[in-house]
Amino acid sequence: MAVVRINVGPVHPSTHGVLRLVVDVDGDTVKLVEPHIGFLHRGVEKLCETRMYMQNPSYMEKLDYIAPLSWDELYVAAVEQAMGIPVKEGAQYARVILLEFQRIASHLLWMGTLASDLGQMFTTFMWAFRDRSKVIKLLEDVAGSRMFYVNMRLGGLYQPLPKDFKERSLALIDYIEKTMPEYIEILDKNEIFLERTKGIGVLSKEDAINYGVSGPVLRASGVKEDVRRSQPYYVYDKLKFDVPVKYNGDSFDRYKVRFEEILQSTKIIRQCLSMMPDDADVVGAPIKLIGPAAKPDTIITRRELPRGEGLIYMIPDKQKPYRISLRSPTFVNLSVLSKLCDGVKFADIFSIMGSLDLVLAEIDR
Amino acid sequence: MSEDEVPAEYLSRKVPNAPYTVEQFMNAEKEMTKLLTESEKEGEPKTPVNAVFAKLSDLSKMAPLVKDVITWGRTNSLWPLQFGLACCAIELMDFGAERIDAERKGYLLFRGTPRQCDVMIVAGWVTKSMVPRIKRLYEQMASPKYVVAYGECATAGGPWWESYNIIQGIDQVLPVDVYACGCPPKPENLFGALMKLQDKISGKVAGNNERSVSENMQRHEGARV
Repeated sequence: MAVVRINVGPVHPSTHGVLRLVVDVDGDTVKLVEPHIGFLHRGVEKLCETRMYMQNPSYMEKLDYIAPLSWDELYVAAVEQAMGIPVKEGAQYARVILLEFQRIASHLLWMGTLASDLGQMFTTFMWAFRDRSKVIKLLEDVAGSRMFYVNMRLGGLYQPLPKDFKERSLALIDYIEKTMPEYIEILDKNEIFLERTKGIGVLSKEDAINYGVSGPVLRASGVKEDVRRSQPYYVYDKLKFDVPVKYNGDSFDRYKVRFEEILQSTKIIRQCLSMMPDDADVVGAPIKLIGPAAKPDTIITRRELPRGEGLIYMIPDKQKPYRISLRSPTFVNLSVLSKLCDGVKFADIFSIMGSLDLVLAEIDR
Repeated sequence: MSEDEVPAEYLSRKVPNAPYTVEQFMNAEKEMTKLLTESEKEGEPKTPVNAVFAKLSDLSKMAPLVKDVITWGRTNSLWPLQFGLACCAIELMDFGAERIDAERKGYLLFRGTPRQCDVMIVAGWVTKSMVPRIKRLYEQMASPKYVVAYGECATAGGPWWESYNIIQGIDQVLPVDVYACGCPPKPENLFGALMKLQDKISGKVAGNNERSVSENMQRHEGARV
């Protein structure tokens, strides 16, 4: 049969944004997948050079709009490193708690949309958004905004935590731990979901390392690598948690890794809440256009974002960054798409693409 | 338009492809009631119910009541296009999820193809490479069609207003009916925007509820991008 070249996207319900795929198909078998990116490019790195240091977090948050707080924190940590500002102890706990809540929200949204893509399992979508909205509500009450929190300040947070933060967080964790088994009932025992994820898009350990993927995609291929463990920041070295690893490297394992990460995050939050002093001072320095001058050393900051390893390479100037370069995890993870889609059925492209958890704003920058 | 103002030659004119004159149907209410009661009589109906709807489309341009009925239908069955660009698309997903029951107002049927849609919600920043694609989606939608600019980026460029690859608002390219502001606007804000759009379509607030094709074309030619 002749090979037909078809176009998927840039406007397509299953691409989670504006990704264009050029697909060569022979009947229903995929011969070649070529991602075309750049439909959301707006030059973040260049814009950051024209702004003062603390004007940039709101740009950074829009890189990954599913987990904005993690990029916010990564950038502010880089600036703190450049200026030599220590983070208050209470704020370290508070940041870890908020980051893990953000990770839970991000993974829940991913789970809902993946299930919605694979055979219109709309119940999972509704449940995931129900649980996510509870997490988002807590983050909103801490920061004051619903989606883009801009909550990080030099040395701490924007404002003190709400008085009932501990009780609400504990109640929320209890709720999430109680509801997560429901997803096992509806997904792990679902014949359609299993058929469309098990054995689909197998990424071997060697390929995962060679392509440089990170985060849950890497850990689903059997590599135990997590920045929170290998280069601990804040209080992660004092905490007890597992790094979930799976060994098959298929879409189902990538789902399981993220699922277990949610449970591990609840563990982390529970420990942090018990270790955090009761009336901890978490407020950082207010935003001033002219801050302490940054040292001229080159900065590299790594963080474990929900989608993988994020990295900021910054050459600081005194009051604004001279150059910023970002390593976004999903850009690297996208590079394995053509490899994974070689020889699969056409419908499996969306299972693979969904399991990689792409965010196009972060890829295009 | 009352019956007195209609010129005689206009009344005797035949509607193309319709076996009746305009005069017969100036009183549309009476005629529709007649057709409906005939079809509801016992035994074999003389006029099939479908015929009523077939005639509705012919009548829509002249009979006020029928126009009202059609406007009512358009107002209460807005089908948005499933089309997200950036951050605001996440709030759009929240709009479709459990947070607010948007279906009670008649707009939750997100469709994947523009040919089935009435409303385009532009959610996110518009890059120069996206402009021809958005234009094409808009042209593929069946008229009457409406555009909601959702969020700061689609309204005025947002935080990217001085970027080299961004247009400062979708209204440079498409005729926008309602703007929803916020970064991103809450799902409730989209709900309010769509209610405003309903008011606009039903004629409660001022505004062109039906734009002509030529007007749209002018808009395209005058666009800065």
